[in-house]
Amino acid sequence: MSVISSLVPARFLTIIAHLVIVITIFWTREYNVKACLPLEFTQEQYNSEDLKLVVALSVTLGLFAIELAGFFSGVSMFNGSQGLLSTGAHASGSVALVFFLFEQWDCAVYWWILAFCSALPALMEILLLIAVFGLSKKPL
Amino acid sequence: MDLPDTIRRRLEDFSRNVFVDQSQSPTKERHTSSTHDRRVLASLPLQMSLFFNIWFFPLWWISAIVMLHLKYSALPDYYKFILMTILILMTVIEAIRLYLGYVGNLREKVAELAGFWLLSILLQLPQILFQLCNEAILVQPLERAIHIVLALFILTQAVAGFVALRDLVRHTESQFHLRQFD
Repeated sequence: MSVISSLVPARFLTIIAHLVIVITIFWTREYNVKACLPLEFTQEQYNSEDLKLVVALSVTLGLFAIELAGFFSGVSMFNGSQGLLSTGAHASGSVALVFFLFEQWDCAVYWWILAFCSALPALMEILLLIAVFGLSKKPL
Repeated sequence: MDLPDTIRRRLEDFSRNVFVDQSQSPTKERHTSSTHDRRVLASLPLQMSLFFNIWFFPLWWISAIVMLHLKYSALPDYYKFILMTILILMTVIEAIRLYLGYVGNLREKVAELAGFWLLSILLQLPQILFQLCNEAILVQPLERAIHIVLALFILTQAVAGFVALRDLVRHTESQFHLRQFD
């Protein structure tokens, strides 16, 4: 099906774009951490906010690993609904994270972006993995 | 577009020397060839890796060019020259390498697959590691991200390509082992 054959590379490219931006934020999170803090802050406050953002970014990378594992093992590669959901979620996540980076948004916003744009596709992926490997349904 | 004959012969000789164990007995080869001659030898992991690499390559190229343009004025002169050269080389070699790998794997051709594998291991891997690990060229966060992705692709292709090439060469050797008695 030609629809499926263009959905697979589109899904892959949006996942990689989201991943690239997350890795970029990992290395330049200083400005975003400073945006969470009051104008005068102590080093401990900075460290605790920095740690929270690092935890959020690491959770994102873990969710990426789950989704890429499901994608490359073939479980959800040709599943149209999961492909569409994943493409939409990661594309909007990439745009939101670009704003997060350039506009130096608050750290709390990142958790919302994580919930809608990383956790949602990863949750569907886990359901599909359980369905295929646990309940032995066909992947499509 | 076909490889020139001299290059093709050299690559096939190289593959035979590296991947075939010459001390195997002929009777064992004759037995395995009859059971294996209907097996598909194109490697699925290698083909997937190449397919997604082909889609990723334009994005890598645009990002690399933009980042080099942005940091060009902050680099010392010798690194300006080195990074321009590496970028041009990586572009050309990547295009050739991906074409050779795609055709070599799908049509199960030893020479193309061996050429792809050698280009990946000997040329692309050192260049991408240089761009990733050398802090003196002012590696930017975006460059780190895209070079990590490309390095993962090249590593998976090196491993999957090795396995595919070894199986392909052994299969073609067992098909044509009688030739050595001519």
